[in-house]
Amino acid sequence: MKIRGVFIEDTFAEAFTMRVARIVITGRSPRWVRAAALKLTGFATSVIGCKCEAGIERELSAVETPDGRPGVSVLFMTMSKEDMAKRLIERIGQTVLTCPTTACYDGLPAAGDRVAVGSALRFFGDGFQISKVIGGERFWRIPVMEGEFLVQEKFGMLKGVGGGNFLILARSPDAALAAAEAAADAMASRPGTILPFPGGVVRSGSKVGSRRIKSMIASTNDAYCPTLRAVTQSALPDGVNSVLEIVINGTDPPAISAAMKAGIDAACREDVISISAGNYGGKLGPHHFHLRTIMNGTAE
Amino acid sequence: MSVLVAKLKISLDQRGDFGEVFTPPWTTLDAGGLAQRPVYLERDGRVAFGDVFELSGSPDGSIRLLGDLGRADRLAAGLSDGTVIIEGDVGAEAGVGMAGGVLEVKGDAGPRAGAAPLGYKRGMSGGELIVHGDAGVEAGAAMRRGVLAIGGSAGDRAGLSMIAGTIILFGLAGKDPGLWSKRGSVVALKSIEPPLTYAYACTYQPVHLRVMLGRLRTRFELPVQRKHLTGSYRRYSGDMAELGRGEILAWTPP
Repeated sequence: MKIRGVFIEDTFAEAFTMRVARIVITGRSPRWVRAAALKLTGFATSVIGCKCEAGIERELSAVETPDGRPGVSVLFMTMSKEDMAKRLIERIGQTVLTCPTTACYDGLPAAGDRVAVGSALRFFGDGFQISKVIGGERFWRIPVMEGEFLVQEKFGMLKGVGGGNFLILARSPDAALAAAEAAADAMASRPGTILPFPGGVVRSGSKVGSRRIKSMIASTNDAYCPTLRAVTQSALPDGVNSVLEIVINGTDPPAISAAMKAGIDAACREDVISISAGNYGGKLGPHHFHLRTIMNGTAE
Repeated sequence: MSVLVAKLKISLDQRGDFGEVFTPPWTTLDAGGLAQRPVYLERDGRVAFGDVFELSGSPDGSIRLLGDLGRADRLAAGLSDGTVIIEGDVGAEAGVGMAGGVLEVKGDAGPRAGAAPLGYKRGMSGGELIVHGDAGVEAGAAMRRGVLAIGGSAGDRAGLSMIAGTIILFGLAGKDPGLWSKRGSVVALKSIEPPLTYAYACTYQPVHLRVMLGRLRTRFELPVQRKHLTGSYRRYSGDMAELGRGEILAWTPP
């Protein structure tokens, strides 16, 4: 299969089941909403080192938020329910509670699994906090120097998917970067998905384990490193001099498939040789995103 | 028709205690079952709800009551789930001790709506009590949780001895709102005179009111205006004669 001359490899991305929460942050102005969201989702690229993965899903207009102010929705992902509670309490407490004018709401009200967040953060109020039940949902008003921080008591949590991906194999670093930027732009703000890495792009794709250090969980994906073509079992076709990866997390497989389709289509441009994907032989992750199936429009 | 409708079939020329009509598990009852619930009339004594109201429709957890219910007291007392809509006025102690669900009064409510039954320590402990018109004295007295919204004017001593919960006054507040409140919130969108035992704290924009008032506007079509959502509120802490952890939030014109 080729798209505009770019070869689509007959392979698949292998992804994992993760827990996902949707956090809605609102504020007086988009400036402060974004400030809080960027801090909340900072250092959240991979559970390997960050214990969570997070990203801004999309901006919300005032009519879409619970308090009628501008907002953003953030998708926040962990490997377990217990981790979700710990990470949300840490991060919302340090990044949203601290940010002027913001409030924090659950973006998955229909989810059956609930994680207690506001009920833990309320203790910052040192006994002066006030709870209010509005429409059956409990909120906490925590007094702060600016006024009050409003946070919902519990946040919904679903089983989501982490680790959808594709690789852009290009003739040059410039071509790889241009294709990755186009892909990330095409995939931005798609409901139900986030790109947790910087700018949506990963340059340091990894393989499981290490050749030398047994305790390492992951190490460089040498098969796709152009500089190692001569000294390792390379997977790179002739002419490839740079590879970039796009990693996609989402609320469900169809959301990831749709984002991958848009991203791959955008990445198929001049000086891109092929599109591949990362997998572990299909033995580790339950979600398999076959590139050709996705591009044919019949995805998982 | 998927909602129960109860139409008053006699002229209610005597006061009646309707306090046992909407106690659990009323939402599971059909029209026939609900018709057998007891009502206590001042002169005629115990009669069946079906002797006073003509019931029709199928149960879906909600009911509309039609007719002049100005002498119907204790309607929806102890309500814990479902929605009771009164299409006109209602008598005294509507929703006393309610614990959940929704009681919506399209007209005026008599004294002590949402309050504690006389002799009891706790008023409504959950749910939403919406009075579109005026409310009598001591609305929400001793309420413990929940929301009581009054679209018109409130009588004196609204929120008397509130333990917690929220009372929202769209119209004029009577004398001594929130008197002896422990942790309750009284929100006033028009003029209000806090009791002397309240202390001014600051003027600010409470975000939770945007959520709460937004719900009252969309769910119950109460007259929330943009200025109420975006405006500032004076916060008074009180009642200092009690715990002092309650508040009066008074909307402030820009």
